[in-house]
Amino acid sequence: MDWLFFGEISLAGLAMGGLYALIGLGFVIIYKATRVINFAIGEIMMFAAYLFLAFAGGMEMSPWVALPLAVLGGSLLGGVIEKIMIRPMLGESSISVVMVTIGIASILVGVVEMIWGADPQLLPSFLPRKPVFIGEMYLAPKIAYGFLIGAALLIVYLLYFRFSRGGVALRATASDQAAAYSMGINVRRVFNLAWVFGSLAASLAGVLVAATGGLSPQFGAIGLSVLVVVIVGGLDSIVGALIAGVFIGWLETVAGAYLGGEYRMPATFAVLAVILVFRPYGLFGTHEIERV
Amino acid sequence: MRIGDAKQSYEADEAILTSSTQKIWFALFLFALLLFPFVADAYLLYLGCLVGIAVISTTGLNILTGFTGLISLGQAGFMGVGGYTVAWLSANTGLPFPVTLLLAGLLAAAVGILVGLPSLRVKGLYLAIATLAASVFLHFIFAEWESVTGGMGGLSLEPAHLFGLTFQSDFGMYFIIVPLAVLMVLAAKNVFRTRIGRAFIAIRDRDISAEILGINLLHYKLMSFALSSFYAGVAGGLFAYFFRVVTPESFPLSMSIFYLAAVIVGGMGNLLGGILGAAFMTLIPEALKLLTAALTPFYPNAPIFMSPMLEIIFGALIVGFLIFEPHGLAEIWHRIRRFFSLWPFKN
Amino acid sequence: MFKSILSKGRKLAGIGSIAAALVAAAPAVAQDKEPIVFGGSIPLSGVFAFAGVHLHAGLTDYTTWINSQGGINGHPVKYVMEDTGYEVDRSVAAFKKITGSNTVPVYYGDSTGFMKTIASELNSRGSTLMSGASFATALTDNEQYPNQFVPGPNYTQMFGIILEYIATQGKDGEKPTVAFVYSDTEFGKDPIENGKAKAAEMGIEVVEEIVTKPGSVDVSAEVLKMRRARPDFVVFHGYVLSPINEFMVQMRQMGLDTQFMGTFWSSDKLIINKMGEDADGYMGVMPYNYYDSAEGGPMLDALRATAEKSDPDAGYRPTGYMQGWFNAMVWTEVIKRTMDAGKELTAENMAESLASIKNWDTGGIIGIPVTAHDMSFPVGRIWRVNAKEGRYEPVSDWIHLD
Repeated sequence: MDWLFFGEISLAGLAMGGLYALIGLGFVIIYKATRVINFAIGEIMMFAAYLFLAFAGGMEMSPWVALPLAVLGGSLLGGVIEKIMIRPMLGESSISVVMVTIGIASILVGVVEMIWGADPQLLPSFLPRKPVFIGEMYLAPKIAYGFLIGAALLIVYLLYFRFSRGGVALRATASDQAAAYSMGINVRRVFNLAWVFGSLAASLAGVLVAATGGLSPQFGAIGLSVLVVVIVGGLDSIVGALIAGVFIGWLETVAGAYLGGEYRMPATFAVLAVILVFRPYGLFGTHEIERV
Repeated sequence: MRIGDAKQSYEADEAILTSSTQKIWFALFLFALLLFPFVADAYLLYLGCLVGIAVISTTGLNILTGFTGLISLGQAGFMGVGGYTVAWLSANTGLPFPVTLLLAGLLAAAVGILVGLPSLRVKGLYLAIATLAASVFLHFIFAEWESVTGGMGGLSLEPAHLFGLTFQSDFGMYFIIVPLAVLMVLAAKNVFRTRIGRAFIAIRDRDISAEILGINLLHYKLMSFALSSFYAGVAGGLFAYFFRVVTPESFPLSMSIFYLAAVIVGGMGNLLGGILGAAFMTLIPEALKLLTAALTPFYPNAPIFMSPMLEIIFGALIVGFLIFEPHGLAEIWHRIRRFFSLWPFKN
Repeated sequence: MFKSILSKGRKLAGIGSIAAALVAAAPAVAQDKEPIVFGGSIPLSGVFAFAGVHLHAGLTDYTTWINSQGGINGHPVKYVMEDTGYEVDRSVAAFKKITGSNTVPVYYGDSTGFMKTIASELNSRGSTLMSGASFATALTDNEQYPNQFVPGPNYTQMFGIILEYIATQGKDGEKPTVAFVYSDTEFGKDPIENGKAKAAEMGIEVVEEIVTKPGSVDVSAEVLKMRRARPDFVVFHGYVLSPINEFMVQMRQMGLDTQFMGTFWSSDKLIINKMGEDADGYMGVMPYNYYDSAEGGPMLDALRATAEKSDPDAGYRPTGYMQGWFNAMVWTEVIKRTMDAGKELTAENMAESLASIKNWDTGGIIGIPVTAHDMSFPVGRIWRVNAKEGRYEPVSDWIHLD
């Protein structure tokens, strides 16, 4: 066995996994606070990536201005979606809410096609192009730097949740809505914030992923890989999303490299199936106890 | 105003058609279905067949999602099982279509039970993800098991046949699809007049309470999966006979979502809703095309503008119905009916 | 964003001609003979819209042009189309609708899936000859698809042309090595088996074979495999853009001097427009001259003049436009030959006429006279991107397979 090759493949996979972890985080934040499974997360990522394309490509801004703007746009989109389409569904069955997010996904695809057309696109390259070597192992610069940016945001995020007022409010709401409400936390605002922050993580990941793999209105399909991540990690576990994100990214890449591209999805979904049978609430998720 | 339909027995109350007005309308409807292929042109006939297939599949999904409360993203995969079964049987055995369709349904039902097994431990959205995983695996099998499925290129079929008759044209297929659709919807209607159907509904409304009432959850959930995928399998088989070719790309994930949307727009847990939803969602792209053609003389860019509109309308229908009319088209239908049956006393 | 909206606006203006097609504008020249209908399931939206928009323009403009020439043997031509969104069931609906209200001798199909699906109906009707966006190898099987043809080389033949070119590029008498990269779709897998057989026959070693999902996907790991296989040539098939760009950029970053090639649908100018400098040196196989190539000819000039007139702002016309135009040219030729022979316009007669095409001068659309083989035209040329000039330049002679 060629260990160097395995090392390089693993490294590429882990870097990709870092981005999955970031998306997974966005997903989990939304779920933790509002109990909504957001099937539109891939499309929110896509929308942010198109915004980046418009700012950096069409309007020729510096990518380093365009990137925060696009991420901001994506987060705002998340907030708006929550306000006008998710909030009216409060208290409805989870099936209905999931279907609303599926509907939103379809709307976003249509809007993107209407504004930017159905052509495949490439983002203007903004990451350094010099190959990165870790020891003898080669790592493609795009994913290396993408990983670094993603990891940076991830750390800021975790610190924010740990220490800031908003982060505490969010965690409090997640653990007990009624108690949080009676302690004077504006739960509605927290719901909205959760969508904004969740979309923020997704948006940044969206731009980074599109920068490595290209962009088209079908981009949202990446949401499927993310679903695997959050189910394996546990829908309401941030740690779970991080670990599962990195693992699934690694597995997908290794399976693709050794077995062939057609095995990427089945490999990760096989893990998903095993988890569903043996640990249905994910590696780190909380098992809900139901009472009549 | 409808009067004088006081029920005198439990059976009468449980009857599907309760009044003579309803019976007449239903007879007229069946007659119209029978007449349709003789008056419709090729295009309408084609759409009619398409709606028929969609009605069967939507009814199946409605049993699972609408009546039992188990959301499934695997409907297209189950249809694929049916489609490939029919394709393989027709190429290798030459069995007539009633047999192949039945086997397609049964095999799909078996796969459905397998996929439903995790419902032993998980439910709700976790189960939805399990069905999603199933559709990924099924797609993989369709694409890779080349000796049986023909790989990416798929399989071509001979036309459906029975007693030396071949059903090659849409005209012929219509007389397979539509009677089957009517039959299967009526069968579903009957299921919900039995213990089984009521058990499904009890599970949907509150599964733990249902269990306390003595309903074996796993048993009935699996039965719902089996029934639903049986419908999907038959629909998939018809799909295969109708288009005479199946490939892995014939049954994409978006198809599963399409059927979920049809159930929602039509009305979850309402068979009439499933029918309305299936017809409505199938015909929307065509209606939009008519609108485009009407707009084009005044606004030449209409085709480019209208095409993404389809995605937006599709999504907006799902969101809009869920927020504003959760009981779907069926509710609107009932409102119209109520208006006429109460007329002229209520205004 | 404003810029992109602007450029989109221009694109929109370019296809204003759709209106003309939808209302089936009366031909410019008054003719009293029965019109001949060109039917079409056209993907104006969906994943294939990038090409659909242009092949629609090509078909529309050809119709305008042929009518200005007096139609086909005095019969005016009418082009009737519907948008399909690149979905098979809608495509079939369009076919039924259009053939239901017109007599349609020739029809444009938008995908391999549609063309396979409609085949049984086409065969039982026996009145329509079909070609379209697909170059699928299967469609050139005369047994199963007697009424469908491919307006150029099929994908296997494209691989044949590419491999013939590669075989000539060896240094010191050694054959170069090649890697195939293709998408996990029916489209992507089409020529791979045949391509491998052909390569083996020619003594070209296939050192790596990579399957990916179509479209946006991270290919860093796959590139690492390339780093070890070190192919002299990589042949892409089943993509439009991504991940071709990633392979090229990353492999060059690694210092490999591999050359990159692709088949028809991955040889559009889209590659240059989106990739810029990075596209330099990419090679594609094209059966037609590019719109802005240095070549000329009466038909190519007519095409340019018509395109210029129908939309003065459009400038360059993509390969889809040429493809649409050429489809219509073949239809015209086939209908003309059938009529001249005094035969009815049945699918069988038209297929016969198609098979009789030998050394046909396409007036510069294709650089050499072409001969139909088994429902295809196995001819093509290798073109290479000159990024500075922003266009493809020929690097081989026209290659006509037998």
